[in-house]
Amino acid sequence: MVGADFHTHMILHADLDAFYASVAQRDDPALRGKPLVVAGSSRRAVVLTASYEARPFGIRSAMPLYQARERCAQLLVVPPDFTKYKETSTAVFKIFHDFARAVEGLSLDEAFLDLGDTSVDEALDKAHAMKKAVREATELSISVGIAATKMVAKIASDDGKPDGCTVVPPGTEATYLAPKPVRRLWGIGPKTEQRLLGYGIETIGQLAQLPGDRLHALFGRFGEDIRDLARGIDPRPVIEEWETRSISSEETFEHDVSDIAELDRIVHAQSAELAERLQRKQLRAYTVGIKIKLADRQICGRQTSLREPVDNAPAIARAASYCLHKTSITQPVRLIGVRVSKLAPHDIRQTSLFGAHAS
Amino acid sequence: MKFTCNAKDMAAAVTTASKVVNVHTTVPILNNVLVAARNGRVSVRATDLELTLENAIGAEVQEEGSCTVPARLFSGYLANLPAAKLQMQGTASRATLKCERSNYEFFTLPAEEYPPLPEGSSSGQFRVAAKTFRDAANGVTFAASSEEARGAVLMGTLLELDGTQATLVATDGYRLARYRLELAEPVSAPMKLVVPARGLGEVVRAASDGQIEATVVGGQANQLVFNTGDAKVSARLVDGQYPNYQQVIPKEFDKKVVASTAQLLAALRRAGVVAGDRASMVKLAMDGTSLVITASSDTAGNAYEEIDVERSGDPLTIAFNAKFLVEILNHIEFETVTLEFVGALNPAAIHPSDAKAAERQLYILMPLRQ
Repeated sequence: MVGADFHTHMILHADLDAFYASVAQRDDPALRGKPLVVAGSSRRAVVLTASYEARPFGIRSAMPLYQARERCAQLLVVPPDFTKYKETSTAVFKIFHDFARAVEGLSLDEAFLDLGDTSVDEALDKAHAMKKAVREATELSISVGIAATKMVAKIASDDGKPDGCTVVPPGTEATYLAPKPVRRLWGIGPKTEQRLLGYGIETIGQLAQLPGDRLHALFGRFGEDIRDLARGIDPRPVIEEWETRSISSEETFEHDVSDIAELDRIVHAQSAELAERLQRKQLRAYTVGIKIKLADRQICGRQTSLREPVDNAPAIARAASYCLHKTSITQPVRLIGVRVSKLAPHDIRQTSLFGAHAS
Repeated sequence: MKFTCNAKDMAAAVTTASKVVNVHTTVPILNNVLVAARNGRVSVRATDLELTLENAIGAEVQEEGSCTVPARLFSGYLANLPAAKLQMQGTASRATLKCERSNYEFFTLPAEEYPPLPEGSSSGQFRVAAKTFRDAANGVTFAASSEEARGAVLMGTLLELDGTQATLVATDGYRLARYRLELAEPVSAPMKLVVPARGLGEVVRAASDGQIEATVVGGQANQLVFNTGDAKVSARLVDGQYPNYQQVIPKEFDKKVVASTAQLLAALRRAGVVAGDRASMVKLAMDGTSLVITASSDTAGNAYEEIDVERSGDPLTIAFNAKFLVEILNHIEFETVTLEFVGALNPAAIHPSDAKAAERQLYILMPLRQ
């Protein structure tokens, strides 16, 4: 272990505690202190988030709702409110950005923060200040883990839940991981875990000690990567924003739509929205397509490649409308969406002989 | 119908015509070719209603008449015949084919149900030397749009006829190709027709030597029938307003570069390799007596090419899509090429340096903007 004032590159993993459930409890005092889950209302609904009060009953995310109800008779079920989650998440990420050089969002409630070269003490101060700022702005608690690598930071934040703040000082990663079960490691799913248990390998420490040939026999060419992870070695940096590969705009109708003219109007509106988003991101698209979900939930659609990339509403709408008319729509439409992909940076533009939107 | 012909001639005629048969058609008879024997000739016709191809071969006709045979079956059978005599006999329901010791019978559909060739009085016609027309069509069609989403008009080629002058124009909105040619005789009235690229392509393939005679027919004067030698190509004209191309050709240029076509083409092809992932952007910097071509990409590296040129006007740096430039230069046969400019964001003109050839052939290309 190195001294507390030694500066090294540190990564912080932050995770909002039982996010959806906590938002519900925050906004409705009657729900506080009670076992509740956030879930949809369909017959096949699954638990999106369980409050900490529900967890002692064995209720977990992704569990079918009927099973959760079987385990806890007094369970409260709250429908999700994504608008609210999005608002809250935006506020929280704004705070993340105040404390980090770069923020890599993993979902609405989870992110990696690049703290840059810093000491353990400084990192801890930052973490506490950030937790306080999040609580003041949103009344929600976050758990944070700090380490020199992404994976260790995430494991550490999970260890401290809820409202935790766990630091793994640089140099102590392998020791920290060693006693933990192998399934905590990235890339070890239930199947691999069973296989490892079959060989008597239960802890990350045991995995880290395996000789090269055994690793190769177990994981093939990924053997060394897995051993590196088991030893706390993970060179992946925090990447500010994943490259945008496609952008889409979709709408599910309350009542299925059969009228092509109506669908065409919607496609035009969606194209305008996409144009705005492309322009904001300074991107242009070489491919435009539409996606249609029919009444029987069958999905169909078309896409078309363009010689010159587009970012303006008329051009996107023209291509999307073309795709719409080329798609054979055999039933009323339940959902329609426009998608632009093969995105290219905006910096170079082919000028046009007949004005910007020539056709 | 009954006739005897050479099996290879028949195979060639059926294969050529069957190209337009659309395997996805929902009209059964459009899967067939129409075989007609008349006046010591046999013609084979196929259509997808947009484009009709007909080829004639010499034959010994014993009984005039016609029948329709499924195109795929027929061409598959004919392709495997030896160069021998083929005897064909057809009715509304059967076609019998005999060649050496093989004997086949195909089920047919009645010839009367086959879509007739467009009729109606001719509303205009022109005659042109086949080679001239082929050169002109080859020189422009590449510049047409290939994107159905941008509409059929830009996918077609404009054919303007006035007096003894014909002008072919194709554009995809980024580059424009114009080719002028002389007709064999003046047209009776000026015409503007938009011919689909596919149709023009078939005319180019069918026309060998001699003349092409083209006639506008159809109820709405919406078909153009090209007759050349033994082949007939009939294309449905594109309905729609062709953009005013004359308006986008600058009247004057004040900067000019004359370069070796081969040198410029080779340099652009090389630089284009590097430019590939950056909108194929190459920069042309003109100063003194040199033209410097550069391209750079974060992933591929950098390209630098310098060639000696004759130059007049102020220095200029301008960016183009290398692919567009290469495609244009591929169609310039003269040994030197002239590039003319106004500014870095204005259309540029590219043409053969020879004055007569330049009058014939002109390309306009829009630059890239950064």
